[in-house]
Amino acid sequence: MSREASPGAGVRVVDARLHLLSRQVLDVDGEPVTTVDDLELVAADARDDDAPRDAAPGEPAEVGAILTGPVLVTRLLGGRPPASRWERVPWRDVGHVGTALELTVRADSLDVHWPEGWLREHVVGRIPGGRHDPEEDS
Amino acid sequence: MKKLLGVALGILTAIGGFVDIGDLVTNAVVGSRFGLSLVWVVVVGVVGICLFASMSGRVAAVSGRATFEIIRERLGPRAAGANLAASFAINLLTLTAEVGGIALALHLASSVEPRLWIPVAALAVWLVLWRVKFAVMENVAGLLGLLLVGFGVALFLLGPDWGELVRQAVPPSPPATEHVATYWYYAVALFGAAMTPYEVFFFSSGAVEEGWTAKDLAQNRVNVLVGFPLGGLLSVAIAACAAVVLLPAGIEVSSLSQIVLPVAQAGGTLLLAVVIVGIVAATFGAALETALSSGYTLAQYLGWSWGKFRRPARAARFHLTMVVALLLAVGILMTSVDPVTVTEMSVVFSAVALPLTYVPILLVANDPEYMGEHVNGRVTNALGMVYLVIVVVAAVAAVPLMIATGAGS
Repeated sequence: MSREASPGAGVRVVDARLHLLSRQVLDVDGEPVTTVDDLELVAADARDDDAPRDAAPGEPAEVGAILTGPVLVTRLLGGRPPASRWERVPWRDVGHVGTALELTVRADSLDVHWPEGWLREHVVGRIPGGRHDPEEDS
Repeated sequence: MKKLLGVALGILTAIGGFVDIGDLVTNAVVGSRFGLSLVWVVVVGVVGICLFASMSGRVAAVSGRATFEIIRERLGPRAAGANLAASFAINLLTLTAEVGGIALALHLASSVEPRLWIPVAALAVWLVLWRVKFAVMENVAGLLGLLLVGFGVALFLLGPDWGELVRQAVPPSPPATEHVATYWYYAVALFGAAMTPYEVFFFSSGAVEEGWTAKDLAQNRVNVLVGFPLGGLLSVAIAACAAVVLLPAGIEVSSLSQIVLPVAQAGGTLLLAVVIVGIVAATFGAALETALSSGYTLAQYLGWSWGKFRRPARAARFHLTMVVALLLAVGILMTSVDPVTVTEMSVVFSAVALPLTYVPILLVANDPEYMGEHVNGRVTNALGMVYLVIVVVAAVAAVPLMIATGAGS
């Protein structure tokens, strides 16, 4: 469960399945980044370690990261991709959980942003007018 | 004064934007075969689209979340993925029909072969998506689409027996020559044409594009509640023109030139030219909306950056999706499939897909987490439940009716 779920006065309880999974993730400027395809759960005491480990059954766990990318395929079809193929947004970058998850960093700084960034640099940005601001009067 | 102008502009755009190739073809076909005996379906469809467009606009304005983000969040990746596959395919079919409609209308105006117009039309659609400001795009297409009022003018010039037209409409009296299953097949098709699902994707995402907040809700309501019924009148005028000229002559509509025949007969070349400009604008506007909807649905399901208000490079995958969708549409049309047939298919499958879009919207419009104090009122919910039943019945009946009637033949 996420940190918000730990009991205490004035703390909002967040249901991971209801309030986190499949929610839109926005960056600090409000630009969509991804959807929460899955969550990485790590042992609570190992969160800040360099090598977080999976929580053992029954042990307190925390959300370590938002997962996306290939995880969506395995959530649809079952199974689990190898950890090396995980695309992660670290949970420490999440600033607010509302009807969308708001990050405290810019999309460009995240690893999961690479398909968008690649297409921007190599395809869409190279077509004339690709960097033109449509809301500007031209 | 400026505010009043804004309201007027919004209403006019909604009227002109209501009719697309699906409404044009289906209303003309129905008019030429059943007279005005299916007008009640247009009324039911218009009330339905008013209800759901205002609901999805309200959800987007209040929560900032567009329709497919909500579908994904509510249904989870698997069910929403199936929904996406179906919605995307039907939306692509509608896009194909709209691009084909532009080409057919330009063919009427120029007698250059439609297949030469298809790539030109698609390129023009892409250029507008790539370059033009969202509000400008909306208003120009909507205002020029108002020229379809030429169908209404034509109806008056034809000087029909109004009493006879009303007798066909109330109580609905289908001609004895048509089978009752065919009557209901076209009822479903007409309902699908009036309530096409892409309009809901487009309305909710458009509210985000234009940065609506709870303050803009009043204007949204006026646009929809005044503009759509007046747009529905244009649909009825198209059907009535067909009922007056084509029904007695025994002409069954199978091409765009037959749809505009009553206009040419009543108003000559000038009125015909006006109506053709109206058809080009209406189908062009709808092609823009469906192309955008293909980008909206996919981007919102996968959480990509989307929106025409962003620089194309800041929503690269969204813009690429629209390019691919347009290329697919051109590819389908280049097989020389008849765009009118594609249109007839698209409206029936739209009816099948309706519950996929409307059920999640109805659920979220009642969710205080998203909507706060703007949740549905009792009247809206009562109407919403009635339409839920209608939409599900139409969706379930569509394919069996299509098979039983041989697609209405």
